[in-house]
Amino acid sequence: MAKGVVLVVDDEAPIRDILSFYLKRAGYQVLTAGHGAEALEEMGRLKPDLIISDLRMPQMSGDELCKRVKADPATQDIYFIILSALDGTASRIGGLALGADDMIPKPFHAQEVLAKVESTFRLIGMQKEIRRQNRELTSFQDRVREEMELAAALQMGMLPKLPGEAPGVRYTHRYLPASGIGGDIYDVLPLPDGGTAIMIADVSGHGVTAALISAMVKTSFENQVRLGGEPLAWAHGMNEDLCRSTLAEQFATAWLGCLEPTKNTLRYVAAGHCAPLRIIGGARGGLHRSEVLRGKGFMLGLDAQLPFVEQDAELQPGDRLVLYTDGLVEVEREDRTMLEEAGLRRLCAELPEASEAAADAVVAQARAFNAPAAFIDDVTLVILDRVG
Amino acid sequence: MLNIQTRQDGTASVVSIQGKVNFEVTAQLRDVIRETVATAQPKLLVINLEGVSFIDSSGLGLLVAARNSVDKSGGKLHLCCLPPPVKKTFDQTNLTNYFSIFATEQDALRGA
Repeated sequence: MAKGVVLVVDDEAPIRDILSFYLKRAGYQVLTAGHGAEALEEMGRLKPDLIISDLRMPQMSGDELCKRVKADPATQDIYFIILSALDGTASRIGGLALGADDMIPKPFHAQEVLAKVESTFRLIGMQKEIRRQNRELTSFQDRVREEMELAAALQMGMLPKLPGEAPGVRYTHRYLPASGIGGDIYDVLPLPDGGTAIMIADVSGHGVTAALISAMVKTSFENQVRLGGEPLAWAHGMNEDLCRSTLAEQFATAWLGCLEPTKNTLRYVAAGHCAPLRIIGGARGGLHRSEVLRGKGFMLGLDAQLPFVEQDAELQPGDRLVLYTDGLVEVEREDRTMLEEAGLRRLCAELPEASEAAADAVVAQARAFNAPAAFIDDVTLVILDRVG
Repeated sequence: MLNIQTRQDGTASVVSIQGKVNFEVTAQLRDVIRETVATAQPKLLVINLEGVSFIDSSGLGLLVAARNSVDKSGGKLHLCCLPPPVKKTFDQTNLTNYFSIFATEQDALRGA
């Protein structure tokens, strides 16, 4: 197989012959033409990798040929070397300004031309390889981006549909993943006995792995709830599920609650998750006290033997529950302080009555507090109003 | 970038960390811990968190994994010198009860 195709364009037959001889002997396939127009015809039959062309020729000159080759997208990547008797720097620059890639002054040694051709083909080879790798990378990137977009859409689909309603509650959420997809998840499920199960979780880390585990957390929660029982049993079951199926450094903080609307009670397990706020009478809007639904329990997925503790709270009609993940309150500001639970509690003391407006207000005020720093972690906020 | 120093104290290894321990730097810290455990095979690994201003969930995950891997090789992991913000994160996630935590490095080394 030829090392490449070289088109030699010169009106002097002896020059064409000498170059052809050397190039063919070196293993190249050689096309020849006596002037620019003939060169274009030759190129119509077989596209060369490299053109070596004289400047002054009848019918079509070398500079015109060069301009046409470099202006046509189909041929512009062909390497163009001008062979010219016009020596001196000025004509060299002139030739390169036409778009030629290199110049060889006449008179020349055939060996010199050959050496230049060899080095040019090394360059062409490298360029081809770079282009090929670039194409591969671009298409890989496109594929990854498409898949991430699909995954993000899929993850959004895993969240409860809004406006959310379950026995005794109405709720809404704001879900702001740090990188398209995230490790936060929450769920609200109606129970057969007329109660409502609530779960919010934050998987360690970010991105695809965290997102996969968050899907696992949701499935595990649904399974546990289906098995009946109470938050304590759910926490144990979910912990076992996660210990079985995640790697060493992966776990989730979670808060699991069960509302009994007839008794206005909430039983819950806090598994290393930031404690939700109960805003007493908060669903009616205006200024209200709040209570922090703290608990002591380990994160899910650490160790299957670890204990959890169930706790009780009240949740009366008109109360509002603010569930969130730490990304909302753990942004370090320029003065190195963070909003934290205390700050969130302050800004939740007075919120609009409508849960949508309340959710917007919380996110906007948290952002304003952090500014100019932005959220860096996944952020989830759920406003859950107790209706009577 | 984290500033990490390691030293040997008899059969114990001490890893001291300075900076913010988050997602971006866990790989660096993981390598140091893994290498320390593999080469020194310490009976006791002390991680001094005095210079840590913030730790996120990936950092906590790394410490949990470190404890588990040290446990498996029959050693112990002690943490020491938790600054208030770090202590708060540990309290919130109840990890205070999962790790053996000491006030000073000397206590952590003695508490073996």
